[in-house]
Amino acid sequence: MKRNNLLLLAIFIFCLGFAGRALCFDLEGKVSKTKLKNGITVLLLERQVSPTVSLYIRHRIGAVDEDEGETGAAHLLEHMMFKGTKTIGTKNYAAEKKILDAIEKTGTALDREKQKGEKANAKTIAALSAKLRKLNEEHKKYFIPNEIDRLYTQNGGLDMNASTGQDVTTYHVSLPANKIELWARIESDRMLNPVFREFYTERDVVMEERRQRVETSPSGKLYEEFMSAAYAVHPYRNPIIGWPQDLPWLSPGAMRKYFEKYRAPEKTVIAVVGAINPTETLKLIKKYFEPIPASSAKPRMAEPEPRQTAERRKEVIFDANPMMIIGFHKPNFPVYEDYVFDVLETILADGRTSRLYHLLVTKMQIADKISVYNGLPGSRYPNLFTIFATPRHPHTNAELENVILQELERLKTEPVSEEELTMAKNKLRMEYISGLDSNAQLASILSYYEVLTGDYRYFADYLKNIDKVTPQDIQQAASAFLTKENRTIATLERKKD
Amino acid sequence: MMLIKKSFFLKFLSFVLLACFCATAAVADSRLIPPDKIVYPKLKFELPKAERVVLENGIVLYIMEDNELPLVNVNAIFRTGSIYDPPGKEGVAELAAYLMRTGGTKKTASDQLDRRLDFLAASISFSMATDHATGDLSVLSKDIAEALDYFSQMIIAPAFEKKKLEIAVQLKIEDLRRLQDNPQRLAFREFNRLMFENDARGRLSTPKSLHAITRCDLRRFHQEFFHPQNAMFAITGDITRDQAINLFSKYFGAWKKGRVSEEAPPPKQTFTPGLYYLHKEIPQSTIVIGQFAPGKHHPDYHAFSVLDFIAGSGGFNSRIFDAVRNNEGLAYSAGSFYRARPAFGIFGAYAFTKTSSTLQALSLINGTVDEIRKKNVTPQELEWAKQSTINGFIFSFTSAEQIAWQQMRNEFEKMPPDYLELYRDKIEKITLDDLRRLADIYLNKTKNVVLILGDSKNFDEPAGDLPEPVLIKPQE
Repeated sequence: MKRNNLLLLAIFIFCLGFAGRALCFDLEGKVSKTKLKNGITVLLLERQVSPTVSLYIRHRIGAVDEDEGETGAAHLLEHMMFKGTKTIGTKNYAAEKKILDAIEKTGTALDREKQKGEKANAKTIAALSAKLRKLNEEHKKYFIPNEIDRLYTQNGGLDMNASTGQDVTTYHVSLPANKIELWARIESDRMLNPVFREFYTERDVVMEERRQRVETSPSGKLYEEFMSAAYAVHPYRNPIIGWPQDLPWLSPGAMRKYFEKYRAPEKTVIAVVGAINPTETLKLIKKYFEPIPASSAKPRMAEPEPRQTAERRKEVIFDANPMMIIGFHKPNFPVYEDYVFDVLETILADGRTSRLYHLLVTKMQIADKISVYNGLPGSRYPNLFTIFATPRHPHTNAELENVILQELERLKTEPVSEEELTMAKNKLRMEYISGLDSNAQLASILSYYEVLTGDYRYFADYLKNIDKVTPQDIQQAASAFLTKENRTIATLERKKD
Repeated sequence: MMLIKKSFFLKFLSFVLLACFCATAAVADSRLIPPDKIVYPKLKFELPKAERVVLENGIVLYIMEDNELPLVNVNAIFRTGSIYDPPGKEGVAELAAYLMRTGGTKKTASDQLDRRLDFLAASISFSMATDHATGDLSVLSKDIAEALDYFSQMIIAPAFEKKKLEIAVQLKIEDLRRLQDNPQRLAFREFNRLMFENDARGRLSTPKSLHAITRCDLRRFHQEFFHPQNAMFAITGDITRDQAINLFSKYFGAWKKGRVSEEAPPPKQTFTPGLYYLHKEIPQSTIVIGQFAPGKHHPDYHAFSVLDFIAGSGGFNSRIFDAVRNNEGLAYSAGSFYRARPAFGIFGAYAFTKTSSTLQALSLINGTVDEIRKKNVTPQELEWAKQSTINGFIFSFTSAEQIAWQQMRNEFEKMPPDYLELYRDKIEKITLDDLRRLADIYLNKTKNVVLILGDSKNFDEPAGDLPEPVLIKPQE
């Protein structure tokens, strides 16, 4: 999830007060919000720009909700949700179910044997593997693969995809505006009757995804190690894709557990934006989604991260050029300091004249790239203000660290200039506006805010809050949070011979 | 207290049971019609169009007003490209584009430009491709005049400040250094080098060629390619037609005419098919396979797009994706790609898989492609691909910027004027015979360049007959 979405929301209320223009993008008056009987929240926005519609479903479930030893489950579940339902993707579900049960039994036994490590019986493994392969072949007789994708694609669907974050899981697609019923049919069915087919093959796919995103990627590897150092207790320390010791052993049972536990209507938000008739669309959504039962899932808060009391350091050895991440704990949205850090992020690294870019890349010429993100790795719990930097050869991580930390210290003693502050606010404003030019972006923003805060209008005061930020606020936030004992520094270095 | 809690709990339970009952009943309900049987209302769609005007000095300008947001976007396309890099000075074109944005103009110093653009929260960028360049400006409509002034200065009269050139060269060298850390970027770059052997498209910048570049080279390059006859513009958003024309006349009116650049010659296609290994000790291999294919001007362009869709770019149901990912779990990313330029195209396939299944994945891709060639595409597959393409066509017209940009690009690439109008008809008319004929010509594995980047000493045993691999080294 991009942090930008959070910021972009603010524009809905923010009226661009250009004299004599009616450009106020007053979404609050245009968005209709309905709570279905079972608790699903529906947001509708008519936008007649092209005969298309974007449809977003967000669930307040993410990697942060996983139990110890099951990291990666939320993300693997998201993959499994594309395997069809009891009525989509099957030729005969009753017959298919028997084979699926046998596959699960065999797969579970195989995992159990393999987990014995050196004590595992090679013959048992070979026999179970052969059996699993045979069952998978048998299963193909009853199964029509990739039906969800085929239905959407053939009907003109675009960007059919899903994503799993620490906080939220999202399923989205854009369709020709006359085909909303197809989406309602598929999505309501998979919230009610998903069937987890091809589980063991898909688990292998996700292992490849891990190799692609982490094992062979220096930045992916560094990010993972950085987060696990920055959080000692809180589950934000775990990678969304899962730890290599958990991922290979995730079970179909774990999938069902997460599905039952969290795929609850009360935690689900639907946003539909595009060439719709809101009344008709709501009728259709009610017809398909209202039969989904309310659930008994109880919200569970993750264990809070204890206050950090000493600087943490992590060095990753990787055959690649050096890079580094510095992070500081801070409160999450909507605590006021979070707005202050949004402004600070912009002042430090947005644009060629921003403080760190200008100093490190242009003036001193010791950095290749520099970027700052406020609010990683999620926003449901207190998060981090992070700085990513790569040195330009032959300069080093240590040189960058020195200069960056000095610049952060300067924030505590010298107030930022009014010009810098105005520039940052202008940029944040521009960011909102340019993010509002598509159905998909609007649906994404509306649903994200609603699922995160419980009210899409929560952003109402966002720009007002940004406008409130003073040089003193920045000074105070820097003094309070950008401290040595509150920071984690992770570096990636090539092995020294 | 206890009692209340208990009764609440009971009530809650019964509610859940009741709801479950409803849901179970609903499953058998006629509500769940098979998705293919849903009847949809008719969709109204008329092809939206941007207006085309020609300014006095010959500049082609597409205009489309859209007042939803207080923004203006300007997109430009230029007839130039890195294929015109002087030999030994590879990187001139790319640096010229980068320096147009960062190196100041004859009227305004780079520091001043950066400060003003940052203050306006306006963004300007230029980017160089092998056979064209693009420029983009995005700004609040209230600031369009000032921003367009800077944009035009950068295009017409860049200063290529010496200090900024030095920084740019160093950053580009750093980029090349870090390219080695990114398996996918590195593999596709080396794949391009193999495909475009003995061709300007395969000459890529090196630290040595970058060090050889002077301001004079950039000025010469700019003078040759950046003039009104080589450029087209689109302006869209919160601006009227008259305002747009006035502003363009004001800031681009004095731009001196030049000679239209010749068409870039198509690649020589003298590449050497075969299996190439690029050794790197990492746990996942990058496999890229490819050969030349029809270009956009070729009568088979539409049919080839459909063939590619079926082969591996049409998502979960396309053949390579289904075989490599869904069936065998060998990759997260796998599929095909078809990159078509006006005069030629490249068709290829890729998969990223663990070291121990590298050659298995390669065989699987080869086998899958062979199957398309030998056993043909099925009528259902063709229908799926055609409907997907035709139904999804409206997504090419969802914003003013997209609509105008598309029309401009079509003119730039000399596509027929009725290209968009006829697009769906042409897709509709594609037959199984067309695909059979194309598969026969282009899906021939003996003509492929196959590049595998990975831990080549630990690849699995080859499953079928593979050519003897050639070990290559990445360009320094």
